[in-house]
Amino acid sequence: MPLEVLCAGLSLDELMRECQALDEFRRASPNLYQRVRALFFLYALYRFYIPQALTVEDGSTPGAVVSFEANAHLLERRFVEALDHFLEDQERDGISDALSSALAKAYYELGIQNLADQVQASVRAVRGNQWMFRTGAISDYPLRVIGELRVAEAGGYPVVHETTAVRMDLSHSAWSDIFFLGMDFPGGARVLNISVDLAVHGRDSVTKPPVEAFFRVIDEPLIRLSSVDLGVVTEITQLNDVFDFAQDYLGLLKAALIASGVIPIGLEGSGERLEALLEDLVGPGRGIELSSCVNDIPKGSRLAVSTNLLGGLIAACMRATGQTRSLDGPLGESDRRLVAARAILGEWLGGSGGGWQDSGGVWPGIKVIEGCEASADDPEYGISMGRLLPKHTLLGTDVISRETRSKLQDSLVLVHGGMAQNVGPILEMVTERYLLRSAEAWKARQTAIGLFDEILGALREGDIKRLGMLTTKQFMGPLQTIIPWASTHFTERLIAAVRSEFGEDFWGFWMLGGMSGGGMGFIFEPSRKAEAVERMQGIMVVLKEQLEHSLPFAMDPVVYDFGINEDGSRARLLRGEDALMAAGYYAMTLPLLLRRDPRALTESRRSEMARFEKKADAEPAYDAVRDRLVSNLFPRADEVPGEEVSLASLLEANGFDPVLHERIRDDMRCGLIGLSKNRMPTSSVVEDVRSGDVALSWDAADEARGREALEGGEVAVVTLAAGAASRWTEGAGVVKALHPFCKFEGRHRTFLELHLAKTRAAGRAFGVSPLHVITTSYLTHRPIRRFLESEGYHGMAEEVMLSPGRSIGLRLIPMRRDLRFEWEEMPQQRLDERAQKMRASVRAALLGWAENCGEGTDYRENTPLQCLHPVGHWYEVPNLLLNGTLAHLLERRPQLKTLMLHNIDTVGANLDPGILGYHRRTGAVLTFEVISRRIEDRGGGLARVNGALRLVEGLAMPREEDEFKLSYYNSNTCWIDVERLLRAFALERTDLEDAAKVGEAVRALSERLPTYITLKEVKKRWGHGQEDIFPVAQFERLWGDMTALPEVACSYVVVPRARGQQLKEQAQLDGWVRDGSRDAVDSLCRWDC
Amino acid sequence: MKIRKAVITAAGEHQRHLPLQTFIDGSGRNRKVLGLLVDEASSAGIEEVGVVIQPGTEHLYRDAIEHVTANVTFMEQAEPRGYGHAVLSADPFLGDETFLLMVSDHAYVSEKTGQSCASQLLEVASGEGCVVSAVQPTHEGRLKDFGAIGGVLFDAGRELYEVKAVVEKPTPTEAEQTLMTPGIRHGYYLCFFGMHVLQASVMEILRRRDADWQPGDHLDLSSALHEAAGRGRYLAQVMKGRRYDLDSRHGLLVGQLAVSLSGHYRDEVLCAITDLLAAGAMQQPAEPLT
Repeated sequence: MPLEVLCAGLSLDELMRECQALDEFRRASPNLYQRVRALFFLYALYRFYIPQALTVEDGSTPGAVVSFEANAHLLERRFVEALDHFLEDQERDGISDALSSALAKAYYELGIQNLADQVQASVRAVRGNQWMFRTGAISDYPLRVIGELRVAEAGGYPVVHETTAVRMDLSHSAWSDIFFLGMDFPGGARVLNISVDLAVHGRDSVTKPPVEAFFRVIDEPLIRLSSVDLGVVTEITQLNDVFDFAQDYLGLLKAALIASGVIPIGLEGSGERLEALLEDLVGPGRGIELSSCVNDIPKGSRLAVSTNLLGGLIAACMRATGQTRSLDGPLGESDRRLVAARAILGEWLGGSGGGWQDSGGVWPGIKVIEGCEASADDPEYGISMGRLLPKHTLLGTDVISRETRSKLQDSLVLVHGGMAQNVGPILEMVTERYLLRSAEAWKARQTAIGLFDEILGALREGDIKRLGMLTTKQFMGPLQTIIPWASTHFTERLIAAVRSEFGEDFWGFWMLGGMSGGGMGFIFEPSRKAEAVERMQGIMVVLKEQLEHSLPFAMDPVVYDFGINEDGSRARLLRGEDALMAAGYYAMTLPLLLRRDPRALTESRRSEMARFEKKADAEPAYDAVRDRLVSNLFPRADEVPGEEVSLASLLEANGFDPVLHERIRDDMRCGLIGLSKNRMPTSSVVEDVRSGDVALSWDAADEARGREALEGGEVAVVTLAAGAASRWTEGAGVVKALHPFCKFEGRHRTFLELHLAKTRAAGRAFGVSPLHVITTSYLTHRPIRRFLESEGYHGMAEEVMLSPGRSIGLRLIPMRRDLRFEWEEMPQQRLDERAQKMRASVRAALLGWAENCGEGTDYRENTPLQCLHPVGHWYEVPNLLLNGTLAHLLERRPQLKTLMLHNIDTVGANLDPGILGYHRRTGAVLTFEVISRRIEDRGGGLARVNGALRLVEGLAMPREEDEFKLSYYNSNTCWIDVERLLRAFALERTDLEDAAKVGEAVRALSERLPTYITLKEVKKRWGHGQEDIFPVAQFERLWGDMTALPEVACSYVVVPRARGQQLKEQAQLDGWVRDGSRDAVDSLCRWDC
Repeated sequence: MKIRKAVITAAGEHQRHLPLQTFIDGSGRNRKVLGLLVDEASSAGIEEVGVVIQPGTEHLYRDAIEHVTANVTFMEQAEPRGYGHAVLSADPFLGDETFLLMVSDHAYVSEKTGQSCASQLLEVASGEGCVVSAVQPTHEGRLKDFGAIGGVLFDAGRELYEVKAVVEKPTPTEAEQTLMTPGIRHGYYLCFFGMHVLQASVMEILRRRDADWQPGDHLDLSSALHEAAGRGRYLAQVMKGRRYDLDSRHGLLVGQLAVSLSGHYRDEVLCAITDLLAAGAMQQPAEPLT
């Protein structure tokens, strides 16, 4: 029976008893999946059911806080200790909303950790992998490159050239290829996996296996790694550098060296010499070279390019060291299975993780991959139902005819939509849903399993039209039922556009991978495929242009040509004159070699040059390298003059204050300001609020008062929309206000449309439409204006006003001390072992980057928009004064007395008459809405600081533990008394016309507020969908600090979570929908224009 | 069943010099390695020893077999087709007899008082009447130097295993998948000791394979033994003794030390080693004062 049915109508006491019984069960159960499922049930009870019961039983329970010590356990991944601590707190103090959130998080994290541990244990336990963990010294090192490769012929060593397909999942597996799920319910884990060759349409002339790996012996005692696509080559002489994945862009190649056993993982940290290992591996004075090439296939294709590249690299290394049955030709089944197991190991080493079907490109053609029950011989036996590694059944031409294969290729258009999003949160959501067996998701999964059989049937019968209908049904039905976030606004508009253009000849849509927007398939009537291939590109580009400020696009959309690959991973031994690497390899390395003294080149290098010359005479790909040699020798400077001008003009146009910037830069460099200086003095006493400091409710008189004000048109809304969605899109730099984040009434709506829908509802409820100001910045102003114009202001052209930003900052390269402070002094979640190592490696590289670029210098190495930053939401209110918006508001509504200011992501904030009435009653300048704090609410709160009540930012807390004393978290929704605020600025209404006076008043007040230095992550895009993330420094002033000014009287009101919740990360969305918040917000809106 | 004959293979391209190396045996006498091996065989009751050599090299070995008690016959391997072919070269010498096969680049030290390694093996083979290979648990780091078997325990008291698979110089990857044997420590495999007792059935397999031989093929013994394991009982005996691969780095030195330390002059050798160690310590540069 599903959890929601079981819990329906249970009282708080009954729920608590169930929790206790479940906790006892999970402690006693010897079976991993019973334990894990119990942990997820407990998570769901504490996350969704108990908070609701608390509200019903006894309202909110302010005053309860989360223990700092227990939270420290959580951050350090000591989940068991954290749980026990929280449960003791619950036993002693009773349950509260805060504690419930903490328990939910701890149970969830422990569940995920248990699953991840099991996968890792299984990877290590696979026979053929175990020895690599035991080899801890060179004296134990067991591998040797096979003799054939150690003998130079015609001056060069033979090259193992491995080509590997990528894979597409024609059924979409409903994510059943997540390891945990296949191990829990092997019968439900089935995919129809096809190996394909690719070409980018319009760029490449023929399709070919996109993944290539090259292995050879070299006569230098080092390991040379190179990636042709990334243009990176490195030479490794220290063993530890092999384990440093983020040192360069060659982490995948390093993972392949380790996972193939060439560098056994047991040697990590052993202090052994690489030269000694190479002596055993290839002989004295020699080394090896490994090179990869994915033929510029863009990242994020959802075709598992990186897993199959890893597989291809591992296969090449294994062949070279005699770990496969054959040195060339296709791999045998047992070798393919081992390569797949090693690829899983490699992904774990790199801190990433795909599904178990991802290495499907190593196998040939079309195959069914399905979960397998664990038998007595398997390490998983008795622990989980299924094995880690699935079973592959090749479907030959007797099952799926050659004709059908051709028909599929004649109908399917494979594309990359350009969006590249982190699918990690989606995969966690799927895992949780499956393990909880929620009724809807479970039913959807059964439907997906049924659809799999139908899809396979359609393919057997060669009925591609039906196939298209079924894949569409899969996407529109079970996939979106299980995970609504699998679809995006872009995808749905794209499907609609294709359908409108091709009508009945558009047979179906098919989603690849974790979510749509990247790799996707469109199935057409064959006679129109050629036309569709051309049109898809155009349609996608137009849509991208329309949505590029709303959604994170990493690249321009592309259409692929593809063909079914009937070989899987296959190797050739290149000997004699053919013993060369990829053509692109020489484009990268020849300029380096030509700069060296020819006498310093080894004999084999010189002979390789001769072979290259000969090859270039015969093969156009190599000849082209020769042609480009001069431009490669003298690369153009990185700077694009046009962009420099653009940055300068942007600065000038948006109110950049160079004097202030230089002062802040100098102060930051000499340490006067910085992350550690954001904190208040340690002598500050921070305490929780006292009784009476906050209002827990408002009365009927307040409501009447508020209603009267609303009916009188005395209130306006101010939506803060200057932000670049740094956390929401992990630094992609889109306009958060325009992000179509969730479906309401059947279609995706942006944050902005949602807020306008609430204002529309207020207008209809109170008879007067409130004015609605949207504050913007350099980044958001034009996109928001264009969007509103294109949408006809959602029918609110009369009410909506834009308040353009008048302040802008230029980001700075951070100080290393600030980076260290952020990473070492600030609390943060420890990751699992491999991911933590990866993080450490990335951070070491970033410290080097900051030093090399010049700490505290201007950040200009990115697109201009990514170099600028809004200077904190404090400025957005003064901007209303500076840019004339407030004057304009007062001109249109002279009766205006109150503004409701709120963040773009506080989606539940609306013009509530009760709260408005309360605000009016207190006579405060500002009334802030606060919510009772949950464990995930980090970043300050309402406190008494040295006895005075005020809001404190998290980065200003004198001690980390102080935040954990605070019961209330700032929602940043603030009711402003216009007259009193003007007085706080020492202004009258009439002064608003006097720009100089207003400017002086704003400057005077701003100098009394603290300047915070913060680090923000920005993405820098390059290559084909590649992204780097850099932490950059910027300064901010924050609105909450107004509460610290003695002349600004403030009051505080506690509001329900659905009203005060801010949506900062997309991973929050699922819980937000499931706990009923979405419906609560929806009920505040009127969508009809 | 009396086993009368032994074959020693010395035809390997890189091993020709090893049987001719001078060793000081346990009694303090200067001997050639080949002579020691012939003595090891004859101590187990072997009467006739056939030595397989490269064509035209017999004169090099003549001196090495002075003072041995068994009858020694030299046989030439006509062309280098692999180790299995070297064994097959002794076919005319063997007839259909079961025989002891030894490699010529190992030295043996028995840990069973009064019984040599060859004698231990022949005792088992005579009793069981089947093919038997001598094996030694070997760390996976040395798999690249030996053939290895995978099997199941046949007689725990005698450390006797029934062989299910044989792989020549496996990678640890393959060994973990096919050669893990119950009762053997993780990371260790039962690797060949350089001694087997083979029957006519194995020679038959080699003959058949040789008939199918093509230029470039490598006729090895391990794959023939693997086939033999599938045809009938094939046992592996964990020896009470040690084998020393003289062809490995410092192999001759270590082999010599092992033989000397198990002989009459053990104390004298130990004193010499101690002196060497002490002198080495004296020559170490002094640690700087800190």
